[in-house]
Amino acid sequence: MMCPRRRLVTALLLVPGLLAIVVLPGFAVDVVRLKLGTIEGEGWSAEAVTVQLNWLDERHAGLVLQAQGVALPEGLGELSGVTLSCARARYTAADVHCAKGRLKAQSSVLGRQDIRAAFRYQLDTGHIEAELLGVRVFDGRLAIKATLSDTHWQITANGEALSLPAVTRHLAATGIAVPVVDGSGRLDVNVNMNGVALQLSEADVEVRLLAEEISDAEGGLAGENLDVSLHAALKGVTTGMRVSLDISGRRGALYIDPVFVEMPSQPLQLNARFDWLSTQQQVALQSFTFRHPGSLEIEAYGLINLAGDPPVRELRLEVRQAEFPSLYDTYLQPWLYDSAAADLDTAGQLSGNLRWEQGKLSHVALDPVNLSVDDREGRFELNAMNGQLRWSDTPTPVRSELAWAGGSVFQVALGATHFVIDVGRDYVHLVQPVAIPVLDGALEIDDFQLESGQDAGLRWQVNGLLEPVSLSQLSLALGWPELAGKLSGVIPNVRYDNGNLEVGGILLIRVFDGEVTLQNLILEQPFGLVPRLQLDAHVDHIDLETLTRAFSFGRIEGRLEGRVDGLDMESWRPVAFDAEFATPENDSSRHRISQKAVDNISSIGGAGVGGALSRSFMRFFEDFPYDRLGIRCRLENGICDMGGVVPATEGYYLVKGRLIPPRLDVIGYADRVDWDTLIAQIMAVTGQQDVIVE
Amino acid sequence: MKKLRIPVAMTLLLFVAACVTINVYFPAEAAEKAADRIIRDVYGEQPVETVTPVEPQSRIQTGEQPSAAIVLLDWFFSPAQANADISVNTPAIQQLKASMEKRHKKLAPHYKSGAIGMTANGEIIVRDQKLVPMQDRNAVKGLVSKENRDRSALYKEIARANGHPEWEAEIRSTFAKRWVGNAPAGWWHQNKKGAWMQK
Repeated sequence: MMCPRRRLVTALLLVPGLLAIVVLPGFAVDVVRLKLGTIEGEGWSAEAVTVQLNWLDERHAGLVLQAQGVALPEGLGELSGVTLSCARARYTAADVHCAKGRLKAQSSVLGRQDIRAAFRYQLDTGHIEAELLGVRVFDGRLAIKATLSDTHWQITANGEALSLPAVTRHLAATGIAVPVVDGSGRLDVNVNMNGVALQLSEADVEVRLLAEEISDAEGGLAGENLDVSLHAALKGVTTGMRVSLDISGRRGALYIDPVFVEMPSQPLQLNARFDWLSTQQQVALQSFTFRHPGSLEIEAYGLINLAGDPPVRELRLEVRQAEFPSLYDTYLQPWLYDSAAADLDTAGQLSGNLRWEQGKLSHVALDPVNLSVDDREGRFELNAMNGQLRWSDTPTPVRSELAWAGGSVFQVALGATHFVIDVGRDYVHLVQPVAIPVLDGALEIDDFQLESGQDAGLRWQVNGLLEPVSLSQLSLALGWPELAGKLSGVIPNVRYDNGNLEVGGILLIRVFDGEVTLQNLILEQPFGLVPRLQLDAHVDHIDLETLTRAFSFGRIEGRLEGRVDGLDMESWRPVAFDAEFATPENDSSRHRISQKAVDNISSIGGAGVGGALSRSFMRFFEDFPYDRLGIRCRLENGICDMGGVVPATEGYYLVKGRLIPPRLDVIGYADRVDWDTLIAQIMAVTGQQDVIVE
Repeated sequence: MKKLRIPVAMTLLLFVAACVTINVYFPAEAAEKAADRIIRDVYGEQPVETVTPVEPQSRIQTGEQPSAAIVLLDWFFSPAQANADISVNTPAIQQLKASMEKRHKKLAPHYKSGAIGMTANGEIIVRDQKLVPMQDRNAVKGLVSKENRDRSALYKEIARANGHPEWEAEIRSTFAKRWVGNAPAGWWHQNKKGAWMQK
């Protein structure tokens, strides 16, 4: 059986053969019309083919080749009403040559075409050369040069001002996974390719994209003022295709959801060398480089299986350099909306590498260099972090180190710290105790364990000791009124689980010569918008003289003890507690209360004495002895249920005087006081603006 | 004997009536008012749409036609129910509201352009990111994500603060309606089937 290509060649051979016969002297034939019917080749076919020859002289003839329809290889669509005409083709015994021909056809892909064409057919070798100029394609023009000899072919195509939207629409329609874009992008394309039959051997593609504004339908991919070049070299190998790809972005801005990249002053570059293994649907990546000057430089190699889930099988990714803040602003922040790192000022560098083995992340090494992070909401800050952070998907832990020069948590300054930790597959252990300087004291951490399960969130646990921190510094840092004293404590068991912090053990605050102990402390969502704090407190042996001096309340001498049960704070404002403070029973210290303090207590307690003392004979006394004093408040739903040190016949004693004159009692009558009003009154008498931290 | 029958029947009726179940229904009207207070603060100065009256939802359920005894019981219980209010005055709610008020200034132009729309479940969503300048798309997504986090926290917090955590879904759906109700004309919202409509 004759192969289709042979049939075509035979048909074409007939043409010059006929030419030779009909020009013999004596033959007076002017026109020959041949009907060739259907001609087929590998991947294409032409139906109702006719050839018409017009003899002009011994060496020249007019030629018209027509086909009703031509089916082209996949992706190129079909042609109808094809007419290839050559008004004056030159023919010899060796070849037929048409320098000025015309090809008209209706293409299903490219529409109506009227193309200047030139061709040469060598009779002995079957070598065909063709040139098509002014092919209207994708709103631009394409010039094609093609040669075919035996089954070898070569095509050179130069496209100018092709419309990017039209190209993407066409590619998507043929099933190639490219995003369809709209807008004003133009492409200049140079393609050089050769092959055998339907097999591509080599291709060299150069594309330059200039786009004022492009976007896909959803706006997930968009570009502005772009100038991007692409060079791809493809070579067919037995397993598939060897590809070398270089992309360079010189100008403009690109948004690839969720990353927005503005082209830096030096071009953004992506270079890749890989083998496309067609049967396995795999990409064997020999090298991959991405350079975003001033931001990120990564290299990678490995094996990617496009059909696999996950596609990354083996990969080594080297972060050669990562520069903050550009890395954070461009590449990290878009992924961190819902985290505590959503809004940071950053500085410094990072380098490291990541490895995937058998489709899983297996090694991570990250080395921060003078990396600083500063929360724009002022919750935390860490400066000049340096270290080697390692993680490995192996049973044996790997050693990591991290140090910082300083920082703060809620404006409380932290000093330079150096951690050495062992990092396992899903845990972190502290190798040696560490002391984090906190203001003038320190948080000594003896033991730290962090776990993160697949389903559960982050959990960690700390055992430590708080070395005395001066309260005056702490209160200033937190924006509270300045307090004197020290905060210290043993923190045997601090647990953090899914955003909630629970403090086991007892925190001890030495203040005003006495002690405040905090127990059952639970802090929910400390970095969230609505932090919630719960604790129980005990107050012992407070020296009222020091306390009243600190708050300019009016001098009181004596001791104070008390408790706060079930303190519940939302956004650092109390919503519920049951509190009681009073002079300890059998207290032997000197009990004196000044006129000013009496006035203040009266106004807070709602007793409303309001300067009564200064009007009575009592004004001759600067201060008064007292037996006991105290106040009780149970807060619920914004209302404080008030009480004093002991009940009176009516109301309650806030200050109970001694039997010996001058005797003075302060009695409160208001049972239920609005908490906000009470706070406002306390603020007013102590001269504080606001003790509540917002 | 006949004379006795009416008092016996009455006693029986009262006995039956006394076995009624008292359900605490979600106070829809109070919730709408509470939602409006918060939403108007968040939106700032906006033209206000009148609140559509809702059916009272607090009542004693018997499954029977109301009898004299039930009317009586209703009368006893109604003062407590009339006081059924939705409290929104806790520090957490105030904090969330303040955070949303601050954010709204940044969101407002995107509501207006149609880039952002309101969903039927009381959240917001990026409707058409093409209406947002390319360099701002990330930031707008961040704002939307944070807004939704705050809104979810707000609905939960209101339910919790009023002692009925199980009301969260109803509070959310009340808010969903009121976000739209209080919005100025031109803003986009989704109906329950997910179709976009412009107010």
